[in-house]
Amino acid sequence: MTKKRTGVFVCHCGTNIAATVDVAKVAREMADENTVAFTQEYVYMCSEPGQESVVQAIKDNKLDSVVVTCCSPNLHEKTFRDNAQRAGINNFTCEIANIREQCSWVHNDKAKGTEKAIKISRSVVRRVNRNKPLEAIAVNVTRKAMVIGGGIAGIQAALDIANAGVEVVLVEKQATIGGRMLQLSETFPTLDCSQCVLSPKMVEVKRHPKVKLMTYSEVQELSGSVGNFQVKVLKKPTFVDPDKCKICDHCTEVCPVVVPNEYELNLTARRAIYIPYAQAIPASFTLDESACLGLNPVVCGKCKDVCEAGAINYDMRPETVIEDVGAVVVATGFDLYDQENMPELGGGKLEDVLDGLQFERLCSASGATKGHILRPSDHREPKDVVFIQCVGSRDPAKHCAYCSKICCMYTAKHARLYKKHVPDGRAYVFYIDIRSGGKGYEEFVQRTMEDDDTLYLRGRVSKLYRHNGKVRVLGTDTLTGQNVEIDADMVVLAQAMVPSKGTTEIAKVLKIGRDKDGFLAEAHPKLRPVESVTAGIYLAGAAQAPKDIPETVAQAGAAASKVIALLSQATLSRSPLIAKVRPSHCTGCGMCVDACPFIAIRLENGKAVVNEALCEGCGSCSATCLRAAIDVKNVTQLQIHEMIEACLA
Amino acid sequence: MSEQQAYEPKVVAFLCKWCSSAGSDLAGVSRIQYPANATPITIPCTGAMSPMYILSAFNKGADGVLVSGCHIGDCHYIEGNYLARRKMHLTMELLKFIGVEPDRFRMSWVSAAEGAKFAQVVTDFINDLEPLGPQDKLKKVVSS
Amino acid sequence: MINIQDIRDTARDMLAKGEVRAVIGYRRGTRGMLAEPAFITSPEQADDLVWDPTCFHNLSLYLVEDRKFLAHLNKSSDAPIAVIAKGCDARSIVVLLQEHYFKREDVYIIGVSCEGTGVVDERKLASHLNGFQASNAVFDGDDFVFTTAQGEKRLPAREVMADRCLECRNPFPKENNVVFGEDKTGRELEAPFAALARFEAQGTGERWDFWSHHFDRCIRCFACRSVCPMCYCDECVVDSITFPVTPATTAEEKANRIRWIDRSATRSENITYLMTRAMHLAGRCTDCGECERACPVNVPIRLLNNKMEREAREKFGFEPGASIGGPSLVASFLDSDPGDFIR
Repeated sequence: MTKKRTGVFVCHCGTNIAATVDVAKVAREMADENTVAFTQEYVYMCSEPGQESVVQAIKDNKLDSVVVTCCSPNLHEKTFRDNAQRAGINNFTCEIANIREQCSWVHNDKAKGTEKAIKISRSVVRRVNRNKPLEAIAVNVTRKAMVIGGGIAGIQAALDIANAGVEVVLVEKQATIGGRMLQLSETFPTLDCSQCVLSPKMVEVKRHPKVKLMTYSEVQELSGSVGNFQVKVLKKPTFVDPDKCKICDHCTEVCPVVVPNEYELNLTARRAIYIPYAQAIPASFTLDESACLGLNPVVCGKCKDVCEAGAINYDMRPETVIEDVGAVVVATGFDLYDQENMPELGGGKLEDVLDGLQFERLCSASGATKGHILRPSDHREPKDVVFIQCVGSRDPAKHCAYCSKICCMYTAKHARLYKKHVPDGRAYVFYIDIRSGGKGYEEFVQRTMEDDDTLYLRGRVSKLYRHNGKVRVLGTDTLTGQNVEIDADMVVLAQAMVPSKGTTEIAKVLKIGRDKDGFLAEAHPKLRPVESVTAGIYLAGAAQAPKDIPETVAQAGAAASKVIALLSQATLSRSPLIAKVRPSHCTGCGMCVDACPFIAIRLENGKAVVNEALCEGCGSCSATCLRAAIDVKNVTQLQIHEMIEACLA
Repeated sequence: MSEQQAYEPKVVAFLCKWCSSAGSDLAGVSRIQYPANATPITIPCTGAMSPMYILSAFNKGADGVLVSGCHIGDCHYIEGNYLARRKMHLTMELLKFIGVEPDRFRMSWVSAAEGAKFAQVVTDFINDLEPLGPQDKLKKVVSS
Repeated sequence: MINIQDIRDTARDMLAKGEVRAVIGYRRGTRGMLAEPAFITSPEQADDLVWDPTCFHNLSLYLVEDRKFLAHLNKSSDAPIAVIAKGCDARSIVVLLQEHYFKREDVYIIGVSCEGTGVVDERKLASHLNGFQASNAVFDGDDFVFTTAQGEKRLPAREVMADRCLECRNPFPKENNVVFGEDKTGRELEAPFAALARFEAQGTGERWDFWSHHFDRCIRCFACRSVCPMCYCDECVVDSITFPVTPATTAEEKANRIRWIDRSATRSENITYLMTRAMHLAGRCTDCGECERACPVNVPIRLLNNKMEREAREKFGFEPGASIGGPSLVASFLDSDPGDFIR
């Protein structure tokens, strides 16, 4: 092994370092290290002449490595590494010793500051001695993306990615895209029609040449890593050819099966063959195999008989497709917290007690009641409607600890819509706080509150029960200190937003983390809100956290921009400071596999193997391994050992 | 001047790159002064803290060892500090068990925004170490 | 009650049918009444097998040796190897399986429950027998009865039982292919971790006095490491001379071994060795007690391991040797892990 020739360059940084650290002494002490072939001081090492002098010194003295003792590596590590590369040595053989932020700026005593600067510098010199030249890792990229979830988040992400010229596969579990937004009547704060706003986007997705739409399909498996995923998708059979279906509706007229309609939140029923909504995309009917009498002309076969277009085919089979994609966006949305969790509010069993989405369907012109707000029990118009906010939210003791963010706004919207549909009705809103932070939101709520027959009561509701054909509401008004009892015709509960069942399932399939409330976990709560922990998998919409439509659209665009940035490179470049296994010492115990936060290690033939595309170089594996069989390159245990020695000399 | 007053504890401080080292940088930018006894070694993550580093530091004569990382839930590598919390707990308990003064090993969570906290942690540590005197229980005796 | 003939029959049967290639068990030793490990490879040898309170060895160690031997010969096992395992020993095997040291189908566990009898401690017994030899040991429900040339010597269980057995609650080998004996603990003699609690009642100064005395006496013979089934590492990180050198080893690799400590058996180096070993056994040691039994200078090594085990159980809800699946103690974490010590 040839002797190391390290150059140590001590920066004065004007007086920032030189005032409280004897830089000349640091240089002298480093010159005594037997791996150091050259030392130099300069006023501003990062300046043009400073960097040039480093390049010259490397060439003149045949240096193979560099230590710059100066400010924090956050500032100039890249500068000096690029500089070293220019001079002909590998950039990873250049390291920074921080003797400014962590030394000269915080210690006034020059003697003590210098002693510490010497220790810091010496430890970095010892580290560099063992640094290997490394090259950034190149990973091939498949220029195609997948979006899982066809609600507004998924639709927006798919459009943004497709408009950048990148092919997108949009996978949706239900028979139509549109998600929750398609179930809404109007949206706050503008009260524009939800379907009117959403439909053009749904059509655009359908027609976009770069979007492949796979509805009634589910993601089953994901393998590979960032830039190179293989996703297995199950296409469930709809038994109706979407290209032939004329949406004439003759089939539903003859279908003998009646089941609850989940798209209408079970407020009404549908047939086994159905179309979720008039605006469904794809514009086609679907035959629900679990409800159908048997897909067999001997048993039934009525729908096929009346179909003039010949679109119905009982022989359709499930199909498994493998898609190769470079990035994935997960936009699988939310459910509402189940009413059965609130026994004191009826437990989901009281008639005329609805949740927010059900109320939307009542308001919607395309809903079961054709836009008339009617009581489900007797179809009469409710004259007294109680709206209860914070049901299941903000309750760390029994339900969800967090705030679901949108309920104050949609409750105000519901009160407004109710008053519009039933002008002589009275609306009561039980609230704890009003959270209306978005653009136009506060004004919207204030206007709602100003209506004479809309009463906002600051207090909680302790019980709901039926009494004489109405729902008796026992609540409190903390501002007057009085208990309040209302015999309501209808009660609407603002249930907490929870991650959808599909979100929980997809997280397991994709092996992306979830937070303590079950929402998809973002890589960093502030600085990386649309990235999952797994490189190449991004998050958008309510699956990540409760949010409203503007935020969802913004987040979808953000996720799309990340995807586009990722896929715009022919190859991905990753830091080479990643883990490396010494197979001679590895016994295949698997502790590193379990410890790795990125699931980047696997066991193969009894030895640990690192996935270079996934490893982030955190070193958790190395600290867990009992045998030092795995180390992070250029941050090895041997290097740390020698740095400890240098700090205590 | 008594020997006790001349004694300066030697501390090795393992700082995680993304939070505590950045917090230490912020203390520098803010020019907050604190004792010069702790020499920092920056590691990628507290998850990379092997208990061997702590034992080795004491073996080589450290009077105190500090480990500092991201707050729970904020780890740049997601889970590294959770793993560290467990290992460091075991290491600390074992040191106490054999009769090393508990104050000699310290762990803290210092975020990139907590420059003042970093300075305080070091200051408090040095203050707590001074009355204990030099560490000679685990220190290797080197013949001169 | 365990009938040794059942165990012998099982072993004989399996060997005769070729279902296992060997049976690791106990047989009468050559030093008085103490049992010694036996490696039975033919059906006739099955009659040598014994079972009594002197069967204190942890035979899972030989599973490790067997694997190393096969690896050295570059052979793979053509049939499982059977091993007689007490409750504590079976838990060692579970840890070895958890760490994929061998496959479950490679080992046939003949579980034998000591039914709360425990095993004798040689040193305690020797101090009672005062130099006389015993030829037989039997447990009658309360006492150990030793047959000596001078007649029967009856000693209360507490006087001769191994310390770890006094505190044991799990004599039954849960992981097994076949098991003899019942899942019962018998009478409780000491609370679990009682000795540890007594030690921890002392303050920092007293603890150091205790340990420094023992750390000084350690001679770094590494008997504790040799006899521990969990210390199967090819290179012991704290003893770089054990670095396995093969024709493929480069000069750089040899030069780059980390010398964490010196080889001298001085106090500081002994401390680092013993503490590293305790840390490495955290969550893996199942308290078979062999390390302390093997130590030639009576260092109370088990106390260190028990401390780690109690931390694992009480602070992290982790039980060593409880299940083959699932992560190890230090490769996992819980949100509820204590963090009050962190500023």
